[in-house]
Amino acid sequence: MKKRLLLLAASGTVLTSCLLFEAAPAPTKVKIAVLMYGHKAEFVQMMVRHGKQHPAVTSGLAALTFYDGRYDPAVQNDQAQLAINLKYDAIIVNPMDFEANIDVVTKANAAHIPVIVTNARLDTQEMTSAVDSDDVLGGYMEARSVLQELGCKGNVVIIEGPKGGSGEIQRGQGNEKAISECPPGAVRILERKTANWSRSEAMDLMQNWLQKHRGRINGVIAQNDEMALGSIEAIKAAGLNVHDYAIAGIDGVSDALNAVKRGEMTSILQDAKGQMQASIDIAIRAVLGPGYLPMSAIWKQYEEDMEWNSGQSKHYLVPWTIVTPTNVDGLLESRK
Amino acid sequence: MRPALRLAKNYGTVLAFVLLCVLVGLACQCRVMKGQWEENVFFTPENFMLILYQISINGILAIGMTFVVISGGIDLSVGSVLAFAGMLAASFSTSSTTVTPWSGTYTLAVPILFALAGGVVCGAFNGWVVSRFRIQPFIATLGMLLAARGATMALTGGNPISSLDARLRWLGTGRIWNVPVPIVIFVIVFAVAWVILNRTVLGRYVYAVGGNERSARTSGIKTGQIKIWVYVISGLLAGVAGIILTAKTGSGQTNAGSSYELDAIAAAVIGGTSLSGGVGRLSGTLFGALIMGVMNNGLDILGVESYYQLIIKGALILTAVIIDPSRKAADS
Repeated sequence: MKKRLLLLAASGTVLTSCLLFEAAPAPTKVKIAVLMYGHKAEFVQMMVRHGKQHPAVTSGLAALTFYDGRYDPAVQNDQAQLAINLKYDAIIVNPMDFEANIDVVTKANAAHIPVIVTNARLDTQEMTSAVDSDDVLGGYMEARSVLQELGCKGNVVIIEGPKGGSGEIQRGQGNEKAISECPPGAVRILERKTANWSRSEAMDLMQNWLQKHRGRINGVIAQNDEMALGSIEAIKAAGLNVHDYAIAGIDGVSDALNAVKRGEMTSILQDAKGQMQASIDIAIRAVLGPGYLPMSAIWKQYEEDMEWNSGQSKHYLVPWTIVTPTNVDGLLESRK
Repeated sequence: MRPALRLAKNYGTVLAFVLLCVLVGLACQCRVMKGQWEENVFFTPENFMLILYQISINGILAIGMTFVVISGGIDLSVGSVLAFAGMLAASFSTSSTTVTPWSGTYTLAVPILFALAGGVVCGAFNGWVVSRFRIQPFIATLGMLLAARGATMALTGGNPISSLDARLRWLGTGRIWNVPVPIVIFVIVFAVAWVILNRTVLGRYVYAVGGNERSARTSGIKTGQIKIWVYVISGLLAGVAGIILTAKTGSGQTNAGSSYELDAIAAAVIGGTSLSGGVGRLSGTLFGALIMGVMNNGLDILGVESYYQLIIKGALILTAVIIDPSRKAADS
């Protein structure tokens, strides 16, 4: 029995290692290791998909290998070391933690490998480039859309991201900036609390608030789309009319786009394609030198707001897009 | 045993629940008297209905957990199995047909059967590993916690499944005689589980295996089979909870149910179920889940910051275990 098990384990190991070698990139010009903080969120999936669709990748000029950081900064730091040992030409990291993942940049610099920080931020200036969207601006835009719908008057609740995370802090600053632009006292924040980016948590929270403030809540500022969708479910479950509320979220996940289409909310789209494909172009440019011209269509799309600058800018800010019933169909179509 | 002690032993959790309700209610009443609120929004029938609605998922998981814990085990995989089952249900009940090769809209029985089957298979595997290889339940179900989460992501390549069929949504958002469907399901599950645990041979054997496995075995109980059964029950109920959560939020999500296992264990433990096995009641678990529900609801209503909410929750779990008289009785 024991022997059989050992045999099974041994053959399993061989099989796995075969699979691993199979997955290793074939020899191409530019090998890029992409360290994502985790693979569970839809947004990450979109980044991965758009990465694989980058013209340089489909044409074989570059090869991407994705790593799943399993929501643990320590895992990501180890994966950076692994990528360096495996002699990747460049590293793109979507960091889990603002501070703890600075190590990725430090290690890459020590190994003289270009490192691009994408989507989230790191508390350092030592990276080759950073590509992200301005969360303060995103928070400002969503709150402003809610307040415009309310005519700068009424009671709002804010559903926050995980406390202390950079998303919650910066989007919260943006929320407050928009509220402070209304006449003093005109808008009251009835409640603000975290639902940890989660739809089901936000649903419970919103149900409790609706129970407490019967008929007094006019607007919901949710710091991401999932929580905005949770608040919509809560409003529906309480037998109220969603269209009586001004609701906004951030990210532009597919469910939110469908809700925008139904006129239930506004979403501020964070461009996964823009962030990922810009990062890839910058990484290839850093490896191949000034002769490389960016291949992604996003540079053309954002011509006015985000300049290529020969891939030399320290910080690229990918613009947000307000999703409204007018542009939602095109966005949904592009995801099919 | 002194009458007061017996009362505390039998009704300790109920007393704690009543005390908590009174405390939250008084705090709300203070606001009313200060003129901050027009009425006491906590003490209303709708609010208690809401609390039941909110605890139905955790309550169902906690019922399964109670079986496992009484048998002397633990099931860390319920949150992941819930996500797996919920994703299966979503994939058979969606109008977006491209997410998985088989996805589409089928009659309601199909998503339900596949979700429950998914839960049962995971549970049976847990039970098989625990009893066949004598692996500690903590480790065996930890394996399943990871594997089921991975399977959930593999099903759809990490994408959520939305645009769910209205019939499935009804299980999470519909009402029967003005009672939300999840509450109805919770009540039915509780009743059936109560009968199994208290009125059948299987139930008695679960207590026997958890109380003293060796003497259970020498008296002819097939302890391995009993263990498989409790994990199957837990997996099945994780499947039920997965269907409800998916129906409630309107989307199968890969990160659904993260750390729900801890809430389920907490409800069972607050309800007086002993982690060393052999001791526990479903009525205790029900009130354990209710206590957690009242706390979440009450603290939200009172506007307590989330950090303090976590501290209070932690303190409550510890208090419940420390003052639990059945624990002392079991030790002495």
